Amino acid sequence: MLEWKKDGWKAAIALGPTLLIMAVFTFYPIVNTFIMAFRNNYKFLSGVDEGFGIQNFVTVLSDPRFLGALKNTLLMVVVSVPITVILSILIAVALNSIERLRGFFQTIFFLPYVTNTIALGLVFNTVFHKDFGLFNSLFNLGAVDWLGAETTYWRAFFVLMVYTVWNGLAFKIIVLLSGLQNIDKQYYQAAAIDGASKWRIFRKITIPLLSPMILYTTITSFIGAFKVYTSVISLFGKGAGASNSFGPDNMLITVVGYIYNKLWEAGTPFGVASAGSVILFVIILLITLIQRRVSKSRVHY
Amino acid sequence: MGIFDKIKEKFKKKEKPQAGDSKEVKEKDLALESTKEEAVFDTETIKKDMKNMGVEIRLEGLTKEFVEKKTNRITVAVDNFDVTIPAGKLVGLLGPSGCGKSTTLYMISGLHQPTAGRIYFGDDDVTNLPPEKRGIGLVFQNYSLYPHMTVKQNIMFPLENMKVPKEEAEKRAQYMAELVQIGDLMNRKPNQLSGGQQQRVAIARALVKMPRVLLLDEPLSNLDARLRMQMREEIRRIQRETGITTIFVTHDQEEAMSISDEIVVMKDGVLHQKDKPQHVYNEPVDEFVAKFLGNPPINIIEGKIEDGKLIVNGKVLEKVKLEDQPIHLGIRAEFFQVDPKGRLEAEIEFLEHIGRDTMVIASIEDASKTFKALVSAQTIKDLEVGHKIRFNYSSYFVFNAETGERLI
Amino acid sequence: MGFKEILLILLGLAALFGIGYLVVYLVGKYKEKKKAEQLALESGANAAELARAKEIQRKEKEAYVPADQLRAFRVKRTTLKVITYIFLILIALFILIPFYWMVITSFKSAEEIAATKPSLIPNKITFEAYKNIFQLELNPNGTLKRGVPFLYMFGNTILVGFFTTVFTVISVVFSAFAFSRLRFKGSDVLFTILLSTMMVPGEVFIITNYGTVSRLGWVGARLNDDTVKIIGNYLAMILPFIGSVFYTFYLRQTFKQVSDELYYAAKVDGVGDFKYLFKIMIPIAKPTIITITILSLMGSWNAYIWPNLVTDFQNYKMWLVSNGLSNAFRSTIELTGPGNVLNQQMAGSLIVTLPLLIVFFTLKKYIMRGVVRGGTKG
Repeated sequence: MLEWKKDGWKAAIALGPTLLIMAVFTFYPIVNTFIMAFRNNYKFLSGVDEGFGIQNFVTVLSDPRFLGALKNTLLMVVVSVPITVILSILIAVALNSIERLRGFFQTIFFLPYVTNTIALGLVFNTVFHKDFGLFNSLFNLGAVDWLGAETTYWRAFFVLMVYTVWNGLAFKIIVLLSGLQNIDKQYYQAAAIDGASKWRIFRKITIPLLSPMILYTTITSFIGAFKVYTSVISLFGKGAGASNSFGPDNMLITVVGYIYNKLWEAGTPFGVASAGSVILFVIILLITLIQRRVSKSRVHY
Repeated sequence: MGIFDKIKEKFKKKEKPQAGDSKEVKEKDLALESTKEEAVFDTETIKKDMKNMGVEIRLEGLTKEFVEKKTNRITVAVDNFDVTIPAGKLVGLLGPSGCGKSTTLYMISGLHQPTAGRIYFGDDDVTNLPPEKRGIGLVFQNYSLYPHMTVKQNIMFPLENMKVPKEEAEKRAQYMAELVQIGDLMNRKPNQLSGGQQQRVAIARALVKMPRVLLLDEPLSNLDARLRMQMREEIRRIQRETGITTIFVTHDQEEAMSISDEIVVMKDGVLHQKDKPQHVYNEPVDEFVAKFLGNPPINIIEGKIEDGKLIVNGKVLEKVKLEDQPIHLGIRAEFFQVDPKGRLEAEIEFLEHIGRDTMVIASIEDASKTFKALVSAQTIKDLEVGHKIRFNYSSYFVFNAETGERLI
Repeated sequence: MGFKEILLILLGLAALFGIGYLVVYLVGKYKEKKKAEQLALESGANAAELARAKEIQRKEKEAYVPADQLRAFRVKRTTLKVITYIFLILIALFILIPFYWMVITSFKSAEEIAATKPSLIPNKITFEAYKNIFQLELNPNGTLKRGVPFLYMFGNTILVGFFTTVFTVISVVFSAFAFSRLRFKGSDVLFTILLSTMMVPGEVFIITNYGTVSRLGWVGARLNDDTVKIIGNYLAMILPFIGSVFYTFYLRQTFKQVSDELYYAAKVDGVGDFKYLFKIMIPIAKPTIITITILSLMGSWNAYIWPNLVTDFQNYKMWLVSNGLSNAFRSTIELTGPGNVLNQQMAGSLIVTLPLLIVFFTLKKYIMRGVVRGGTKG
């Protein structure tokens, strides 16, 4: 019945310690967070609750702060993902078309990837400083407040998008460039024989053959954008847990930000935070499922 | 007016650019436009178009030099290559790997531009035309079907590039697919096809634009042995049905011999011989060609010419009118007959019984210098390994030992 | 100074910023080229042949262009190239300007920053900011009043990063080996389960893990807490991050490329599975393992959410670099008001960023390859 294949005990040695740690810090949390999300008025330290139910979800979904956070996050996703993906396709194609200085540009474009998000957030904070910032003086804007107490929603949002694009290009450029370089040169020869024009080759050969990579970078940036948190915190420079760390009146709070703020709140935060994270999980699951669908129907070859 | 005529029209325009005569060209374009409507695209038209396929190919002093990227050294891949390929024939370009045969094919296709020399299709000098304006179809070694397109889209791609109306393009694609017998696979993607089917799609894609020349780069090397035999016949059949001048590159002499009207033997970028397969086999111009064709490979026996006598292992075999020199005597295995009075004496090293015939592996001086003789099993039934045996031979070649040049 | 002048100066300066690397890059390329030519000459080529080689290469680029259109073709090609390079240079400036701003601001004095217009070159290069951030000033209760405790931040990060990485690499190597080579019941199911955990957002884990470590009393060690509590706090930062499904998957791919024949040959020679792992698999997969090590270390360096959650804001001795940087300036700004410490903020950012850049430039090959194979940030 329970027939172990012959390497069973070796696998137990090789995987045992890892699985033990994962059981505590990976598997248990997934189960537990889901359970907590459905425990009404759950007190974590004492472990008491008032039965199971969907009270936490009701609390989250009727909380204007959460809906605001969801709106903010969706807006960030909708704006930042297309910009970064399209821009990185353009850059990757440009890089692929040159020979001289390709390595040089590639290295420069990669730099944001190897920088500390908090440190560079501070830098952007300084660049967009109201009185002493580079941006205002560069464009002669006077004392426009971008991230301070007198900023507006759209100003702060603009800065966040600039930082997100700045931060997000590196990964996509390098993945797309390697995708471009992996396209068999012979397809281009075949297309030349078939008499395709340059534009047609790009549209009918390059883009379709690059589509798995485009889809991959799009999906990862979708998921990344839904989980945005640290870059917002770092931009306002106050640090997580501080009051108004998402700008004046926490105007740019995100879904993840909402979840963590609930963790810090007094009262019954664990159940509510869990419910928030379950909702985030469902969103990400949906994106992943859509990706599966799309890649099966469109990029499969 | 069929599509082929239109293509021809296009070639003419490009080849003889009348400077400043853009008006005339425009008028021609208009003329093309106006005839578009009247055209009827049925299978008869397509068949008629295909009758026009096939043109003589002439290579004159074709040379290709490559620059190695790392070292900046120049290597000569094809050296002053002259050959004429008759219209409507299937010609095998044969040689060992790295001999420049694929480079030659790529130059004919236009993917590589020759360093020197000219390429003519019929009377047209196509040397300075890019691939898409030459009217060629090329089938790559690994087929290079576009993986994201269906079979139909693959075959229609060249027509779309030529802005052929969709309805006509579909008809032509379907016709071609049926010609190569994949008419029922039109909606599959390449990765759902077997190697042989992919090959057929690639041929259809190459033929659909009614090229004047079909080029195949090692067309059978990616197929297993059984499919290879089958596709050989297929290529032969398709070529016959379309009458298109076809060049295919191969390193497999048997493949080249079995389906070619003519074969062109190359080595180190230089033409060695071009003739009908049987003729190349029977009358090789040099030792390389003799060795490259035939299975088992021709026996090369070291010898010398002295005072008009051909001497092998101290024994006079023939009287020849040649100057004194070391030579290689070439005798094919099937040229031998066992004959007690034969001139060539040897010792049997090994016997391989192949049904009716027997392959005798015999040595002349010592066991390291062996040759193979294919003889009727009947004639050696009393002989065993270690016995002495005498052979006669019906034919032989004599090559210069150093240059390989054929002397007799 | 108008917009135009500033833009011009800025373009010049940002270009200057990249120029160091550019020079190094070009010199490297030039040397490579000379070496190739030298090699060609040594192998018997002469100057004439080299010149002809260049001519052949040039001709190949202009294949099939009729003589009368050659000029137009070249103009078109050059225009396209110029546009491409301008586009790339603009993007490069966009990427580099924040770095440039970080560097120059960190060398400015507080007075200069407070001057009416931000200057693009420091009037006077001072180390004032660096002096200030390295000087720690404590409150009477022992908490940090001013300065950035780099010594603790770097020390803690290296400690946490080291242990996390070492145990992660060990775990990943053994898991990847088990899933690529060993045959045991349920291996496919188990691997699928592991892979599917990658889809779960980190927040789901963090909520419960935060609860777990707080129950264990491992969170928020205070300044005057005993060693046991402090060790607990470190464990809280290390343990949850040991092992990685993603790296396991990545290494398994590499292991799978090692041919089966090699394994059977080793088996025939009586080599045990684990000996095979150490003697054959690990040496073959060394580049991948190096990549994993670097990426894991970089991950620790950039970790923010979790360390910030489990350490005490008041206890600067437990800070890692990311939350340390953020926390340190929070207290300084509260003290002096924003704007006065911009140069210090930039100096701090620079000090935190520099080690990453140094690692990047020395190990570029490994990092970029790891990312191409599907690394994700965070």
